[in-house]
Amino acid sequence: METRGLVSKIQRYSTKDGPGIRSTVFLVGCNLRCAWCANPEAMFPDKKVMFHQNLCKRCGACVEAADNHAIQLTTKGCEIDRDACTNLATLADVCPYNAYENIGTVVGAEELVERLLRDRAFYDVSKGGVTFSGGEPCLQNEFLEKVVRILKAEGIHVAIDTAGLWSFDQVWPILEMSDLILLDIKAMDAYIHQLCTGTDNRIILENARNIAEKGKKIWVRMVIVPTMNDDLPDIKRRLDFIKELGDSVERIDLLKYHALGIGKYEALGVKYPLSGIGECDEGLIQEILAYASRIGLSIRFG
Amino acid sequence: MNTCLSFVPSNTECDFERIGKLQNRMNNRVPSICPERAEIVTRSFQETEGEAIVVRRAKALHKILEEMTIYIEEDSLIFGNQASVNFAASIFPEYSFEWVIKELDEFSSRSGDYFEITEETKARLRPLESYWKGKTHAEEVLHNLPEINRQAERQGVLHRGGISMSGDGHVIPNHDFVLEVGFGGMARIAEKKLQNPDLTQEQKDYYEASIIAMNGALKYIKRFGKLAMEKSQKETDEKRKQELRDMSKACENLMEGKAKSFYEAVETVYLTHLLMMIESNGHSFSFGRFDQYIYPYYQADLEAGVLTKEKALEILTHFFIMTNSLNKVRPWGHTQYSGGYPLYSNLMVGGMKPDGTDGTNDISYLCLEAMNQSKLPEPNLSVRYSKDTPDDLLKDSAMLIRQGFGMPSLFCDEVVIPAMMTLDLELETARDYASMGCVETAIPGKWGHRATGMTYINFGKIFELILNNGMDPKTGIQLLSITGKEGRDAAYESYDKLWEAWEKALRFYSDLAVDCDLVCDRALKHHDADAFASSTIDCSLERGKTLKNGGSEYDFISQSNIGPSVVGDSLYAVKKLVFDEQVLTLKKLQEVLDANFEGAEGAQVRKLCRAVPKFGNDNNEVDEIVANVYESYLALLPNYRTDRHGRGPKGCRYTMSTSNITSYVPNGFDVGATPDGRLAGKPLNEGASPCLGADREGPTAVINSISKLPNDRMAGGQLLNMRFSPGALAGEENLEKFINFIKVARFKNVFHNQFNIADGETLRDAKAHPEDHVDLMVRVAGYCALFSTLMPEAQDAIIERTEHQW
Ligand code: SF4
Ligand code: SF4
Repeated sequence: METRGLVSKIQRYSTKDGPGIRSTVFLVGCNLRCAWCANPEAMFPDKKVMFHQNLCKRCGACVEAADNHAIQLTTKGCEIDRDACTNLATLADVCPYNAYENIGTVVGAEELVERLLRDRAFYDVSKGGVTFSGGEPCLQNEFLEKVVRILKAEGIHVAIDTAGLWSFDQVWPILEMSDLILLDIKAMDAYIHQLCTGTDNRIILENARNIAEKGKKIWVRMVIVPTMNDDLPDIKRRLDFIKELGDSVERIDLLKYHALGIGKYEALGVKYPLSGIGECDEGLIQEILAYASRIGLSIRFG
Repeated sequence: MNTCLSFVPSNTECDFERIGKLQNRMNNRVPSICPERAEIVTRSFQETEGEAIVVRRAKALHKILEEMTIYIEEDSLIFGNQASVNFAASIFPEYSFEWVIKELDEFSSRSGDYFEITEETKARLRPLESYWKGKTHAEEVLHNLPEINRQAERQGVLHRGGISMSGDGHVIPNHDFVLEVGFGGMARIAEKKLQNPDLTQEQKDYYEASIIAMNGALKYIKRFGKLAMEKSQKETDEKRKQELRDMSKACENLMEGKAKSFYEAVETVYLTHLLMMIESNGHSFSFGRFDQYIYPYYQADLEAGVLTKEKALEILTHFFIMTNSLNKVRPWGHTQYSGGYPLYSNLMVGGMKPDGTDGTNDISYLCLEAMNQSKLPEPNLSVRYSKDTPDDLLKDSAMLIRQGFGMPSLFCDEVVIPAMMTLDLELETARDYASMGCVETAIPGKWGHRATGMTYINFGKIFELILNNGMDPKTGIQLLSITGKEGRDAAYESYDKLWEAWEKALRFYSDLAVDCDLVCDRALKHHDADAFASSTIDCSLERGKTLKNGGSEYDFISQSNIGPSVVGDSLYAVKKLVFDEQVLTLKKLQEVLDANFEGAEGAQVRKLCRAVPKFGNDNNEVDEIVANVYESYLALLPNYRTDRHGRGPKGCRYTMSTSNITSYVPNGFDVGATPDGRLAGKPLNEGASPCLGADREGPTAVINSISKLPNDRMAGGQLLNMRFSPGALAGEENLEKFINFIKVARFKNVFHNQFNIADGETLRDAKAHPEDHVDLMVRVAGYCALFSTLMPEAQDAIIERTEHQW
């Protein structure tokens, strides 16, 4: 049987996930649970249903159609009892105004590649390519390996955006074929990491060292989330760690936390884990930049 | 001062502060109506009854130039004015006048493109009406228009374009020639021609008219010489005093012969433009390949040490700003088609030279910088690019685009040149193309007519008609029946039958549109017999013919086709839902469309319709159908000839163009709900762009879809308009990516592209609070306009364009 994968979205003309003009493929499923995750539709496993309250015209069709009277029209719009609603996935066909959206498409490797290659001219001219993100793309390792293999045979630049929590032996063949690894370093202290992501970081750091040792090009991404992983001493340790990774690290991006994912949580009927977190303190950013330059790291910010 | 692009001033010869003042004044310009020209032209025509029309028009021009109010704009190095005050629109009663009188009291209260008008002006215009009654161009057109065309107009399929009531415009003079011989030189050519004893009466009249027109132009210049001297005597600022003295000195013999300096060349280009716009109220008089013909003058002055790059920039920027002092007033009905006071004065830089080498030079960059400093709707700046275009030029262009006022628009040589070659041009000639007006393409100095925008054909409406067997549900008018029977019932059994109906109806209405073109063109032959503009075009002086009577070297025109994407998307929706998947009957669809998708069932059907893939998302099936829509029109063109056929110009044929200005908005008013899910009355698609909001897969998918259209046979011009969010272009890296995005168009068969960089929030706010966004300029449809001057429906259409953001 053809290898298939579960994809939440393909973002064409993506400019944030590596060099040049890229297509970013978001694969569904992740083994971390970062409190700030901006892609909950790709973080949680399986297909999902999003409900867009703003599109609802209160026609009542979904109320009729829902099993177990799981949906009620209230003054606020539709209230969905997701546990009771056993036919939620069918409502996208019911609602005339597309308030329900099914997320997650099963796609074959060849088919996915065919779609990605449509933008080949853009990759070629801009020295861009394809980035696999998610979720944790390496969880669908068989599928990913197959797709990357075909893309590489086509001469396409491939980047893997990963959090690094996987068995090295299983995933290395994919990374080895790829041109660039986008690696998140979220925290050094195991306890902080646990608090932020639900898992400890031992394997992640070890994998990071291994990738670096093999000489794979790495772009490290550090997102700083106030109250979560903004402890300055720990951030300095992260920078020290990155420094240790050596020449494989080609670039470091410091990213500010944003709450743009919050709408998606609402649409998925899931509580947003963070609340009322403001912008990252400008002073902290300056300190981070200053420390990085002191230890000889150049960081991009903004 | 605005931050420069790549230009770094190395001395203070460009006074940026003064540019700022001039710019600011122009930004707050007040549109008004000026009665002067109308009065003078009426008096002149009363004096010349019985003479040949070309002579009468030349005499009228001469008289206007002698008598009209002239002024020198404060601070400006460039002089020459079209009407008595800045940004006033003159009236051209000889083309059409009835509407002017009818709308006199409405000019100042329009919802878009308003004009201030005083009671005195109204009182001066009203008495002129009786003279022009029965004499105007518009009346002649109306008189000769067949009844069936009127019916087709009532249905909303055809729309008589500007040429049915105003001059044609659309002239790109041969500036190399004009700058080389001057107005005086042209008069001398005409004088010499007059010595020939074997001339026809037409030729004699033309040469005589040309001499009168050119002498009028020279007198106009001399008047400025005098005025500048007077002003200099009163001026207290030493620098300005000297400038006025220099201006006065230049006027002593400016354009009696060759332009003698860079300054004279730029001033002449401006004057030539302006004089054509006093002679006729056509629009889209354009500058052509400005960097190519100005460069020799620039280089000579640099070498002689009498000019610096900085001074050149100052002169160019003043010139750019001053092109915004001109104006044109259209009837309200036409204004809806072209909102935002557009003059479509295209100015093009970059691209290949006729020999195939890259033509980019200092002036190309300086023009981008001048636009960066001036940031006003005119001139309509366009950049040509090819594989040899320096990255620096693209970078300056991208930096300008990023600022979000819609300029420059970009033309891809690798696509446009082959498209021009379909007109059987020599390669060297095709390589010299320039954009004229918004996105139409012409060869400067060789074309004598609009390349597009003759009669407007509403493709969306034709589609609605075929679903109804040719009957318009709104008016009940039926001019053709697909089934041969009367009534609305068409009951197509297959997609092929539906397609055949499309082809049949398209041909029917295209034929009518060509008839309408001919009626307009024949009337223009008389009413737009313009000796001044004609003399600037190759062959006209040689043949002794005005452009409208066959004076130009080439002659290719096109109509304006509105809504090919709506039609393609709709055809595909019917194909899929009714014929392939059979989830709907045609009858049911029809009912739902009649009800504008209202009610529960309507909503369900609309959902199905909207779910069918749309053009702009790189879906081969629907893209192919849209391409077929283009092919169906292209196939008709060999049948058509222009009125000048057999009278001199090469070609005299039709080509295709999707340049349709803002007409996609009002054309949508006339079209009921369509099977693509579009609601009744909503806009059609703009140019070749996807339907509003239909492109969901990002800009690369849009380009891929566009690439499947027969763009390299669209010799009249193809229009694509995309909107990016400001964030998508922020920073060096994103800029670099955007430049590459532009470059890919070369491999993707993309004729033209233009960009709006504005987020929805800003646009919505600008609609609600225009006072806070007076200078927000947007790309409308091949030209730029201040957002606040557009009518609300056109503003909405821009807001609804898909915003590509990452
Ligand atoms: S079917 Fe859609 S529009 Fe109707 S009530 Fe449910 S969500 Fe709202
Ligand atoms: S690793 Fe990435 S996808 Fe997974 S939870 Fe964290 S942020 Fe979300």
